[in-house]
Amino acid sequence: MKILGISAHYHDSAAALVIDGLPVGAVQQERLSRRKNDAAFPLEAIEWCLDHAGLSPEDLDAVVFYERPMLKFDRILVSALRAFPRGRGAFAHAMKNSLGEKAWVRGLITAQLGVRRDKILFTEHHQSHAAAAFLTAPTRHAAIMTTDGVGEWATLTVGRGQRTAGGPTSIVLDREVRFPHSLGMLYSTFTAYLGFAVNEGEYKVMGLAAYGRPTMIDQVRKLIRRTPDGAFALELDYFDFHTTVARSYSKRFAELFGPPRQAHEPIDLASAEGRRFADVAASVQAVLEEILVDMTRRLRAETGLPDLCLGGGVALNGVANARILAESGFERLFVPPAPGDAGSALGAALYADRIHFGTPDRDVPDHPFWGPSIDDDQLARLAGEDGLPSTTLDDAALVEQTADDLAAGRVVGWMEGATEFGPRALGHRSILTAPHDVAMRDRLNRDIKYREEFRPFAPIVPIEAADRYFELPPGGARLARFMSGVFPVRPQWRERLAAITHVDGTARVQTLERSMAPRLHDLLEAYGRRSGMPVLLNTSFNLAGEPIVNRVVEGYSTFRRSGIDVLVAGRSRIVKRALAQATLKEELA
Amino acid sequence: MQSPLSSVHRWVWRDARRRANNLLRFAEVEADGGRDLVRAAEQTRDPLLRRLFLVHALDEQRHADLFRKRGLALMASLPVGPGDDGRADWLAPGERGLDDLRVEQERDGALLAFLHLSEKAAARDFTNYIAVLDGDPPTREVFEKVVHDEAFHMNYTHAQLLRVAPKDHGRLLWMARLRRLWSLYLRFAGALASVIGSVVLTLQYFVLLPPFALLARRAQAREPRGWAPIAPERNARGAQKRQY
Repeated sequence: MKILGISAHYHDSAAALVIDGLPVGAVQQERLSRRKNDAAFPLEAIEWCLDHAGLSPEDLDAVVFYERPMLKFDRILVSALRAFPRGRGAFAHAMKNSLGEKAWVRGLITAQLGVRRDKILFTEHHQSHAAAAFLTAPTRHAAIMTTDGVGEWATLTVGRGQRTAGGPTSIVLDREVRFPHSLGMLYSTFTAYLGFAVNEGEYKVMGLAAYGRPTMIDQVRKLIRRTPDGAFALELDYFDFHTTVARSYSKRFAELFGPPRQAHEPIDLASAEGRRFADVAASVQAVLEEILVDMTRRLRAETGLPDLCLGGGVALNGVANARILAESGFERLFVPPAPGDAGSALGAALYADRIHFGTPDRDVPDHPFWGPSIDDDQLARLAGEDGLPSTTLDDAALVEQTADDLAAGRVVGWMEGATEFGPRALGHRSILTAPHDVAMRDRLNRDIKYREEFRPFAPIVPIEAADRYFELPPGGARLARFMSGVFPVRPQWRERLAAITHVDGTARVQTLERSMAPRLHDLLEAYGRRSGMPVLLNTSFNLAGEPIVNRVVEGYSTFRRSGIDVLVAGRSRIVKRALAQATLKEELA
Repeated sequence: MQSPLSSVHRWVWRDARRRANNLLRFAEVEADGGRDLVRAAEQTRDPLLRRLFLVHALDEQRHADLFRKRGLALMASLPVGPGDDGRADWLAPGERGLDDLRVEQERDGALLAFLHLSEKAAARDFTNYIAVLDGDPPTREVFEKVVHDEAFHMNYTHAQLLRVAPKDHGRLLWMARLRRLWSLYLRFAGALASVIGSVVLTLQYFVLLPPFALLARRAQAREPRGWAPIAPERNARGAQKRQY
């Protein structure tokens, strides 16, 4: 059975290919088109998946779209009608936007791929999230919660999944909270209020929250009330996202929290205004955590199951995830490497495989590396063309050399194997540095990532050493496998791990098992032999506003344009040679 | 020689808030253009062009920083007021980036011709702005720095166009000119269609939809808050054939 999953049209479009029950490739469109958060129909991603497997579209047994477009259109239309007469702008926008392409997905897929209409299937948005979370997790029976901004109508669902080795699979979502009542939209509204891009800047709100105190928690609670049945409802007078496309929050919201931040204004945490924004972020973060912990606690009591699979964009909130693990009663919490809409391409394909076609269960390999692989020879060729010396080493020598570079305080661009599926660099497309001092963090922010100073960097550590440096609760190492939890750095190590310790003493740690990335594991150990700590700072290999690099040439251009000192791609290594730009201009012009 | 639009430019750049907003918008466009050039550098098989595109991309990033810093400084000097009113966007174009050019589909020659014309237009616009910015020396200085780089960009794109397409450069430049015109027409036509569409749909909204709006609101009032059960058939096998 060959099934192609597609997610598209809202944010982070992607394609994933499942053959005989197992993923063989999955990639976000942005990694290929080089447009960050590319939401276009993912033709390049589809082509890559098919080429990678040596298939043509007619070989496919099914193409699955990750949501039901007509149901989504229904929600958009009904919302505009409910908001009459204020919804006139939303109505016009929705009609122009949806009727162009988004509502006619079956026709679009047929036209683009040439597959028969009866081969095109649709899963519900939250079923795709649920499948991405449950069917990729090493558990056989688990409670499931999915939560995001909105899919068709659902914004949060709960249910349970069961797999039998070599047998049938079931995913049953029992109940849902419906639009406009949405935890994701609540958080996104604050994202907009704080001047960050919605669907992109939510992690900045989480990072900023650590600098504030939840002094406005009562105000946030006015926006979202708990319902007697344990769910929640937004007080819609404070919001505008359901009536217009122009604004997320209403005048009342701004009256409650004060003037919003303009997107271009820097956040100065030393100023009263900067602290107010941090307090707002801390307050909404606290309320989000409080509600999620309560809902998952109830789910645990209801299901009696020890495992929880969490999907949807809200599952990217590592601080909330850590609290769920610690306080909900679930023993293990599984968050896939791509819990958001991109991951739904894989979720939809797996759902169709197991549920629609009833294919016997198979364990999905527990790693995130489903994208294109690098061409090992490309770096040496590019460097040669530009007159940069490169060296090609065997794995052991390369690891030792890179560990020397890192110990000497160099910033290393690290590319190996297949790219990660999901928003995080988990060791195959990473920028690595020593994690010890704040100066390194500042250098990364200033010379390489060009980003806000309040955003933390993440550490990576071998799983067997993780507990020594980080306070991981039971199940914490698993949650940290794909960088999905934020945990305290042990107080005695905070000073020596200053570059990755956030202002509140925590870190979004990745625990690395050797089998997932053996060479990077070796590098951590080699670095540990030099520094006494097998911990590195690991940040995504990209510059601000760009997607994570995919091919070697993209890593190379990033290396050339930033303060990265060393680039390693496969077995090749190059070192930055100082060359004044003015000289280069004269030489080249 | 003074631009025939100098009085318009003078009006656009006279207001400090509008000036700040324009500069911040220019910063975004320059940053976008820089990313397109990075993409061009990653696509080309010509090592010399790759190096030049990367240098150019770094310039664009620097311009974005210059515009942004100056825009923020101007904004900080103003009393708290309304944000961007967007009024002068089309009256004071900056660089257009590479518009919707699909860099990965372009041959080097066509891309260079397009870049050359783009840089030329930007240099001309920025020179006009310099002429009307007597009252704001720091902003004027920013434009002077940028225009200096644009001269390099114009020159290298032309020189490289002659190198990669020695017999064809004239035709490529004309094609690029036509393409810019076509792009301008599409932008205009798209905007006009959008306005017409909005008017027609808004009329429909008020003329045809009120009864449906009433029904939708009544249905909403009946909806309980909190959990809603999911019907078993939604989880069932076979439900995947429906789009709704």
